[in-house]
Amino acid sequence: MTELTKHGWGEAHRPEPAFPPLRVYVWEQPVRVSHWFIFLAVVVLSFTGYYIHNPFIVAKSSTPFLMATIRFIHVVTGFVFISAFLLRIYWFFKGNEWSNWRAFVPVHRRQWRGMGRMVAYYSFLRKDLVHQVGHNALAAVTYLVMFTLMFVEIITGLTLYTQVRGGWLLAPLFSWLPRVIDIQYIRLTHFCIMFAFFAFVIHHVYSAVLVSWEERNGLIESIFTGYKFVPRDELAEDSARREAD
Amino acid sequence: MFPSNQTFTRALQQKGINRRRFIKFCTAMTATLALPPRYVAQVAAALEKARKPVLVWLQFQDCAGNSESILRSSHPSVLEVVLDLFSWEYHELVMAGAGHQAEAALERVVREEKGKFLAVVEGAVPLADDGVYCTVGGRTALDIARHVCPNAAATIAAGACAWDGGLVRAHPNPTGAVGISEAVPEANVINLGGCPQNPANTAAVLVHYLTFGQLPAMDQYHRPLFAYGRIIHDQCERRAHYDAGRFVQEWGDEGHRKGWCLYKMGCKGPEATFNCPSVRWNDGTSWPVKAGHGCLACASHRFWDVRSPFYERLPQVPGFGADVTAGEIGMGVTAAVAGATIVHGIASAIRDRMRTQPEAVPPQASNQPPKA
Repeated sequence: MTELTKHGWGEAHRPEPAFPPLRVYVWEQPVRVSHWFIFLAVVVLSFTGYYIHNPFIVAKSSTPFLMATIRFIHVVTGFVFISAFLLRIYWFFKGNEWSNWRAFVPVHRRQWRGMGRMVAYYSFLRKDLVHQVGHNALAAVTYLVMFTLMFVEIITGLTLYTQVRGGWLLAPLFSWLPRVIDIQYIRLTHFCIMFAFFAFVIHHVYSAVLVSWEERNGLIESIFTGYKFVPRDELAEDSARREAD
Repeated sequence: MFPSNQTFTRALQQKGINRRRFIKFCTAMTATLALPPRYVAQVAAALEKARKPVLVWLQFQDCAGNSESILRSSHPSVLEVVLDLFSWEYHELVMAGAGHQAEAALERVVREEKGKFLAVVEGAVPLADDGVYCTVGGRTALDIARHVCPNAAATIAAGACAWDGGLVRAHPNPTGAVGISEAVPEANVINLGGCPQNPANTAAVLVHYLTFGQLPAMDQYHRPLFAYGRIIHDQCERRAHYDAGRFVQEWGDEGHRKGWCLYKMGCKGPEATFNCPSVRWNDGTSWPVKAGHGCLACASHRFWDVRSPFYERLPQVPGFGADVTAGEIGMGVTAAVAGATIVHGIASAIRDRMRTQPEAVPPQASNQPPKA
């Protein structure tokens, strides 16, 4: 009980580290910038996109140009979203070992085992979290799925945009798609993936708080500052594992 | 009807159609074809010189709606002018002949006018069970279509059914119905979708054929671009209300009485291409959206299946019931994830409390500084 009063609720099992953990620069600037631009764009796009689907505010005669303004915001934000996405894709190839594409694609048995451990942790079959410097294996695969969904959202969005305005670039690139899949199903896909984003954001924030609390390594702060606080041996383990692959 | 060796001008004079009325018709056709006004003279000259080409009108799995549509138009007498432009040798709905006599007329056209006559097809062609679901004079629709259409200079598929199977082909399509270009791929087909097709567009295609000797420019579905090249939403007279955010919320409400946008009532104008708003119906009187009902996208490919439900914005999500919308499913999924997260959070807190302190392992053991 004395332990509880000393460390606060729920921290009794965590020993005090004998050496201060290292401050490691994990998330480089492009990762954080693209993260926040994608987040802000998704918020704006979801609101405006839902309004375009179901205009829940009906203007009175004195309110001018509501739908046109919302659509304009949606289109402009869409291109911001695409830019942030492209920046992140670029960083898949230029970034450090934790933001590189290799961290996301589960090709090693180690990653599959890591996923199993995380599933076991989340379903209470395992008591403790396996600490990670970068993404854990399950999170990495989830992000891979999310990047894929973002890509689908961009493709369907640009295809819908060609219905309004094509130009020399977008029309040849995307106007073939409605001939293969009817435009209504492209709309349906574009709409439904929004809810996948909603579900993801809920889970993402929750699991980040949970893991941050368990690992006590400044995970939440790291998406603002880029730095995590990692025990030396974990860092050594992390690079040793990567070299072994 | 005038004898086929007579010119069109004299025939019109005999019918009492004066020059002024004829030029008005030519102007309307030029406008429908989206040609510049200087083509009016060319259209008029071509029609004046035209020798009556032969036309046969075939009806298969149809409701005769497209025939009705063209016969009921009185616009600078599409009926008079277009009917008199062509020698209509066969049309079940309006021809005087019947039985073997009528079928012999069709047979004669195919034999004697091979490669020169025009065929108009109305209705879908059933393929299931050897096509027994539609027979005319003891022959299946497929048999007649295969016999007539490849021998025609061009085949005009009038209406949704002839284009892509239309209502007859809508799920579950028990008769295996298809459109004419699927049933007879070798035919030179121009598709005039719509339920029914707009007689002004049919007349314009015929006039284009007479003026230029060929069919107008077409899109990937072999539909004339002049009629199907633009989205209805972009030409709609209620578009200003859409941009302003003024929407009809339910039938008969204030917005509906004021003529606001029908977007929330499931109008498929943004998903359909047609020249309805400019050409309109019944002598340019009105069209569905002007009359206060949303567009069903009747000129879109397989609209019964892919544009329904007609009063919702989006199609049904496969695997869910007819009265569940994509929005409701999405909200449900989001709420379920949120609920599961709260439950998981509580459970994680309990797990944390139930943990016992790790035993005698000295904390330093796991945090040794690396040896240099």
